[in-house]
Amino acid sequence: MAQRAVWLISHEPGTPLCGTVRFSRRYPTVEKRAKVFNGTSYVPIPEDGPFLKALFFELRLLDDDKDFVESRDSCSHINKTSVYGLLVGGGELWPVVAFLKNNMIYACVPLVEQTLSPRPPLISISGISQSFELLFGIQDFLHLGQKNETELNTKLNQLPDLLLQACPFGTLLDANLQNSLDSINFASVTHPQKQPAWKVGTYKGKPQVSVSITEKVKSMQYDKQDIADTWQVVGAVTCKCDLEGIMPNVTISLSLPTNGSPLQDILVHPCVTSLDSAILTSSSIDAMDDSAFSGPYKFPFTPPLESFNLCYYTSQVPVPPILGFYQMKEEEIQVKITVNLKLHESVKNNFEFCEARIPFYNRGPVTHVEYKVSFGQLEVFRERSLLIWIIGQKFPKSMEISLSGTVTFGAKSHEKQPFDEICIGGTAYLKLHFKILDYTLTGCYADQHSVQVFASGKPKISTHRKLISSDYYIWNSKAPAPITYGSLLL
Amino acid sequence: MGPPSRETWAQRLGAFRASPSAFMAGPEGEDLGRDLLSELRSEKLSEQTKVSLLALSLEYPAQLWPDAAAAEAAATSLLDTLVLLPPRPSALRRPLLLAATTALAAGDALGPTSGASRRLLPLLLGLASGRDLGRGFGPASEQRPLQATACECLRELESCKPGLLGGYLGLLRSLLGQEGPVQPLSLLLALALRNTLVIQARARAGLQGLLVAGDTPAAGGPWNWTLAEDGDAHLQPQAPSWPAAEEEACGLAVLEPSPEEARELRAAVAQLLDTSYLLTPVAQAQLLWLLGWALRGLRGQPPVLFKPQLVRLLGTAQLTLLHAVLALKAAFGEALFTAQDEALLLRRLTLAAQHPALPLPAHLFYLHCLLNFPENWPLGPTGEETAPLLLGPRLCRGLLPSLLHDPSALLAHLHLLCLFCAEDEEKEEKGQDWCPQHYLGELLAGLRQRAALHGGPRALATLCFQASYLVVHCLATQPTVLTPLTHGLAQLYRARPALAPHFVDLLDRVGPELGEPLRAALRQEVVSRPGRDEALRWHLQILSKVADGKAPSATLGFLRAAAAHCSDWGLQQALLQVCRALLRAGVAEGLADLLQALARQLEDPDGRDHARLYYILLAHLAGPKLGVALGPSLAAPALTSSLVAENQGFAAVLMVQEAPAPMQLSVGPRRAAGPVPVLQLQVEVLEPLYSVELRFRVEGQLYGPLGAVHVPCLLPGRPCRPLHLPLRPRRPAPAQLAVRALFATPAGLTCHAHLPPLLVNFADLFLPFPQAPDGDNQGFFEELWDSCLPEGAESRLWCPLGPQGLEALVARHLEPFVVVAQPPTSYHVAIRLPPASRLLLRLEAAQGDGVPVALRTDDWAVLPMAGDYLRGLSAAV
Repeated sequence: MAQRAVWLISHEPGTPLCGTVRFSRRYPTVEKRAKVFNGTSYVPIPEDGPFLKALFFELRLLDDDKDFVESRDSCSHINKTSVYGLLVGGGELWPVVAFLKNNMIYACVPLVEQTLSPRPPLISISGISQSFELLFGIQDFLHLGQKNETELNTKLNQLPDLLLQACPFGTLLDANLQNSLDSINFASVTHPQKQPAWKVGTYKGKPQVSVSITEKVKSMQYDKQDIADTWQVVGAVTCKCDLEGIMPNVTISLSLPTNGSPLQDILVHPCVTSLDSAILTSSSIDAMDDSAFSGPYKFPFTPPLESFNLCYYTSQVPVPPILGFYQMKEEEIQVKITVNLKLHESVKNNFEFCEARIPFYNRGPVTHVEYKVSFGQLEVFRERSLLIWIIGQKFPKSMEISLSGTVTFGAKSHEKQPFDEICIGGTAYLKLHFKILDYTLTGCYADQHSVQVFASGKPKISTHRKLISSDYYIWNSKAPAPITYGSLLL
Repeated sequence: MGPPSRETWAQRLGAFRASPSAFMAGPEGEDLGRDLLSELRSEKLSEQTKVSLLALSLEYPAQLWPDAAAAEAAATSLLDTLVLLPPRPSALRRPLLLAATTALAAGDALGPTSGASRRLLPLLLGLASGRDLGRGFGPASEQRPLQATACECLRELESCKPGLLGGYLGLLRSLLGQEGPVQPLSLLLALALRNTLVIQARARAGLQGLLVAGDTPAAGGPWNWTLAEDGDAHLQPQAPSWPAAEEEACGLAVLEPSPEEARELRAAVAQLLDTSYLLTPVAQAQLLWLLGWALRGLRGQPPVLFKPQLVRLLGTAQLTLLHAVLALKAAFGEALFTAQDEALLLRRLTLAAQHPALPLPAHLFYLHCLLNFPENWPLGPTGEETAPLLLGPRLCRGLLPSLLHDPSALLAHLHLLCLFCAEDEEKEEKGQDWCPQHYLGELLAGLRQRAALHGGPRALATLCFQASYLVVHCLATQPTVLTPLTHGLAQLYRARPALAPHFVDLLDRVGPELGEPLRAALRQEVVSRPGRDEALRWHLQILSKVADGKAPSATLGFLRAAAAHCSDWGLQQALLQVCRALLRAGVAEGLADLLQALARQLEDPDGRDHARLYYILLAHLAGPKLGVALGPSLAAPALTSSLVAENQGFAAVLMVQEAPAPMQLSVGPRRAAGPVPVLQLQVEVLEPLYSVELRFRVEGQLYGPLGAVHVPCLLPGRPCRPLHLPLRPRRPAPAQLAVRALFATPAGLTCHAHLPPLLVNFADLFLPFPQAPDGDNQGFFEELWDSCLPEGAESRLWCPLGPQGLEALVARHLEPFVVVAQPPTSYHVAIRLPPASRLLLRLEAAQGDGVPVALRTDDWAVLPMAGDYLRGLSAAV
């Protein structure tokens, strides 16, 4: 399991090549093996220029997808994964693992230790998952705390040295590049025996443990008879353990109040040493019943030096935090809208912020708005065809607020106004953005007593919680809306 | 030119990286490798620059040092540079080790005869063992990182030359047990162990104590190349690395270690697994793949060793770890995973495929793993994507497609939905709460609605057609799915005819289940429109695909209306393409009128010519031949344009092709009757031939022109009646006929072949005289005899007789011409020689071996031929 080459390519629409290779690395010893293993089906790694062109063509990132091109647009050219075959130099380079994230294309080609014709299934290629981990690792490194182009460039400049550390010969040793960066800096420390490879050096200083629980709630609300609204909570528990010793043992227990919603679909960090089978099997796939395991959820682990995600979970809370409806009716060049939002009484009515964004796609710019709000203020972004209803920190006592109005649009000009493939005709949505500090929807919490540390010194323990919205949609109930299977009441 | 500075190097490296091939072809290319090596020792360059030079050599050794000798020299130079480094900390030691390793491995220089290999290998092993190699190898603080690096280098060399470390397994084990860095040593040991087991299994040898401690070779001592140089050890395309493949097919002969060896092996594997939690997740995954692979071919090695690791691994979301668990599952099946374990693994995989905390590429990979899940007891055919048995629709509710998905996610989830629909039909159980077909229909309708958006991106249209194709591919037998799909696609065309190329592509790729009804629906959709339409070119493109013999009048009506609006060349050609499709489909009525009209009406001369050509073809060629003429040309290579292909097709069909003779022609028995001599021809063919025409030409002016002989059909193995070729001699003389054949082949081509010439013999021209009117044959003969002179000639000659005697000779050759016979001794023969000659013979008083012949003729030129003929008779018996 090894990689033949890896690339980072920035996507720059409008430029002649539509992108620039920002980083590339080839592994000639792996290439040597590929030539032997692949035999007659071997296709060499191309130079950066041809690779960029072929990849952008396949990913439809070139500006010329106006015409039908069979090798890309044929109905039988079906791609169900992030793995592609690229036509380069008369052959097809496969498998190319690639994805686009934040305007950067991450790509690499794993070694396949056999002939490529017929193509073996991806599951049988050990290098495939390694490709993903390498690319995810680079992505995490580039985007961790990165704010602007200068910082990105600094990080890109560090990449050659980091990969020399983390992937010297094409076989990935550590997907956590920050760890590799630390190991370069820690190089002078003498390592004691049995140092974990994922922990370079040891912490010296005041012991402290920080646990933060971040829950994101997403929802699709339709306000329709035959379609069920859906909502889901996704939690992430982030830890930073500053503890002395090589392998300090820590156990964190997440607890629920008596009426809390059970945690499901729990995925843990690899440093977790053992898992209760109840945690392993509690899953949203099964129908819920009262016997569902409701904690405490114990996670014994040996922490790495850096901040890490101890676990992720999902949960099905009984009601969405904010229930609403959105009605939009088209009347020639204007639309009439009515919005109603209601905060559930059980939810903490103290937001860091709360706003509803109401975009209008596939129309001209907003020329005129007449409206009435029962609470908060409305901001109008005419050119972007967008209304933002700023609700603020608190819902009023009634917990219910409304907006009604008429929006008039100018003539549509294709370049400026946003295009959307979903919001055709009356299909439209509003999206809620909110954040509540020191609160979780499931009720899940960790406190001073939840953290057990088996190491010298009593650590200072800090815990944090927050709830944020993510993909919280309320669809226009007067028109068709996209649904998932879960929404079908059959 | 002085030594390049830091800036010039930066420029040079930049230029090289932009396009290595262009740089190497340029003036600076040749020296780059040499310059790079010498600059590494320059004191003017900073370490930073030197590291960047080494980084280049790590990526492009084949360009810098293109052959084994250059690679060997480069590695030697790099090792020299390493040894010469001052004993203070340096950032160069690690990259120098990596670069020397890369140069040897990538340059094919690694081997027992290579001096650099003999230096590098003991050095690496010494560093990996943590031995003090002297002050040349830097301060103590660098030892630990160098130890790890040396392990990495050894692992890479072992990867490229399996068995290289086979002799040092014991040493590696003991190092792992002591103070060595866990991850590099674990991975190195696991790889060396796996390779050794594979090599020994191929050689059908045991482990031979390889796992027990061995010694480090002394500095400069010989390296143990035994295993690496073994015939079976070389890197070779491996059997599919996915362990589900048959063990025998993997080339892994089953190794049966002795109980003691088995114990040592178990101990080594347990040692590796026990400390595996100290490895990074990706390294743990590698270890599991390697050990799973290593133990798979071994009898008596129960995989339970892996069991303690599994629960821990199943809880994580780490892609490599879950993938490694799947590899173990495939390798050991029920031996490691009970039915319950399998169910749990499937649930974790299902969960991971939809967990909101994981990124989309991971979801898609997990979905792929679900559809290729290595079940303990798979039911379906191998190699096809199927939903595992335990994965019921209920488990997968969250995995069903939605319009909000990305294209690849939508297709992946759609595939799963299609598999359930297919299963659903098989089961014939339609539960209240599970109607996948209905959901599928809604989803496809949503996709079509998006594809219909005017000005929408092509990707949306492509996605719609890919989804339709996938559905047809999986559910071709379900009319409940196909009927609405056909209807919906026709509607989509109505809404956005610009998608015509997608429709044509879809029709090309789907089977008749969708293809037939969709063709009909699209044809109906197009012909029901007025000919004047912005989308005319799309309509014509569709029609040229779907026009067939059905409902031609509507199609022709549409074309007639459209013709008036085909103003430019492209439209006219598109229109003619449809005509062509109709021609091929055998539509005649109405089409001739249209073509004639087009031949007059079209503005473009090329269009008029084509219309005229099609009209001529339609008027002159019969149906099958027309089909061939318009069909895809065999002669045309795929790359030429359709017009060229078309012309070549016509050329092939309408021109007469030269061909080797497919028949044999011979002269049959003589007929000697009628007013003119007639040659009887016998013909045999090697393949079926139609419309055969044989043409004959006589050398010189001996005969008048010969008519052609026609045969409608000749089939091999079926006897044909003799063909009659009447001859019209201008002089009674033998001649040679040149023969040509024209014929049609079963493929519809008209061919022309030269046949070997035919000989017309003197005797072939013989005709009898009519019977004497009064029955007085003797008188008739005497009259003829007397009339020959004085203009003619007289001769006597001796005609030798064979053993049969005169009677047999006459019966055989001269029977039709005998006028007076007194068997067995006397015969009077009268022969008519067209156009106006006669030959009279008196054969009398035969003796034992011959007969004297008196002959007369009214044409003296006949005499020599007659003489030759008579003398040759006995030989011809």
